[in-house]
Amino acid sequence: MNTNSNLYTVIYTSVVVVIVAGVLAFVSQSLKDRQEANEKAETISQMLTAGGFGTKSDFQAMGNAKVLETYASEISEAFTVNTEGQKVGDLDLASCQVFSPKQLKAQNYNIRDGKAFAIPVFVFKNGITVVPVYGAGLWGPVWGYIAFNNDGVSIHGAYFDHESETAGLGARIKDDPSFQAEFTDELADFSSANVFDIVKGGAPKDENGKSVIDNQIDAISGATMTSRGLDAAIDTWLGAYSAYFLSTKGQGNDSNAEKED
Amino acid sequence: MDKKMKETILNPIFKGNPITVLVLGICSSLAVTVTMKGALVMALSVMVVTGISSLILSCLRKTIPGRVRIIVQLVVVAMMVILVDQILKSFEVTFPIDKQLSVYISLIITNCIVMGRIEAFALANKPIPSLLDGLANGAGYGMILLIVAFFRELLGSGTLFGIDILNRFGYVANNLVILPPFALILLGCIVWVQRSIQKDLQEK
Repeated sequence: MNTNSNLYTVIYTSVVVVIVAGVLAFVSQSLKDRQEANEKAETISQMLTAGGFGTKSDFQAMGNAKVLETYASEISEAFTVNTEGQKVGDLDLASCQVFSPKQLKAQNYNIRDGKAFAIPVFVFKNGITVVPVYGAGLWGPVWGYIAFNNDGVSIHGAYFDHESETAGLGARIKDDPSFQAEFTDELADFSSANVFDIVKGGAPKDENGKSVIDNQIDAISGATMTSRGLDAAIDTWLGAYSAYFLSTKGQGNDSNAEKED
Repeated sequence: MDKKMKETILNPIFKGNPITVLVLGICSSLAVTVTMKGALVMALSVMVVTGISSLILSCLRKTIPGRVRIIVQLVVVAMMVILVDQILKSFEVTFPIDKQLSVYISLIITNCIVMGRIEAFALANKPIPSLLDGLANGAGYGMILLIVAFFRELLGSGTLFGIDILNRFGYVANNLVILPPFALILLGCIVWVQRSIQKDLQEK
């Protein structure tokens, strides 16, 4: 047979491409559920890490089922809020419904373009509130979860992730626990446009090395662009949540006052 | 035949190593060698991709139209790479490593070893030797990856496979080792060692 004729070439390539497409479509469909389950467990373990329910490696070691179990036992309510900080929808707790990075990306466009948005809030039984942030790093998206204490202004912990930041530099937003630990006990300033600052060259510190300005922490040396991107992501998203936190912060203070009574 | 078979398997591992002798696949060997786990998964993925695509294309070698041969190779290699990526994403154990390797798994398709071995070997040989040649080249690549990753993880993070080795003795991790240039320095050292053992590689 003449394998160099035009007809043969066209038929041959078409058949190969159709077979390959079929195989890939089949595999993608049959593995989709497993992949989504993995991604969801990853998202939940990141939120739990931010909330201080364990370390990331603990959650990785315990497996997906246990991660979801931990989440289900700790979560009190999960809902979405709009620009005015009002609740607009509920997330299903039984199925551990969360926002994937893709969904955060869609909301990020809404926030940026000044459109109506519905962004998730996760309130845990111990009073900790976890909210996501999302933005652009140097090479790709960066996102993360910031956990607030019951007062709705002091930060309990944070966890960040990225798609393709430089290993050893920008990737330290994820890999370096000491960077994430800097967030603990800082106070977000919801009434200003600069809700939170990641400062290049270092935030001002007292003689004990504690940051003196409540909403400032050190940027990562060698990762200026990633730090800036993360700073913008945090400002944008916490800014979007400010209405919600300003309204619940009042409630938090009230309950404290009642306790004192 | 047996001797030839042995040659097919052993040659890519040392004498004709794709990285240190043919200098193919350098890019990914700099990028994925920060940790042993990542390097191991990458090595296995490349082995699977080179092996199976060599096998498939060797089976098809007499039917492929000469003019679109590279396109057919690309389609098959791309399919294998996507399959590997999808499978890595589906298992709890490999999911975090796939996340860490991110784009480099998809970039296996541009790894010159894969296409190079298909062009040079699989299209001219029977399926079984082609499969072995693909696997062996993947293994030769993986071996270098693991050697580089061993030093980079040990000196750069003080750990091996994530288990603490040096940190408990107060070792301060060296940041230079984490950065890609150090991988190139290490690769240079490996080439140096190999050339001093294997004198016929030295230029006169």
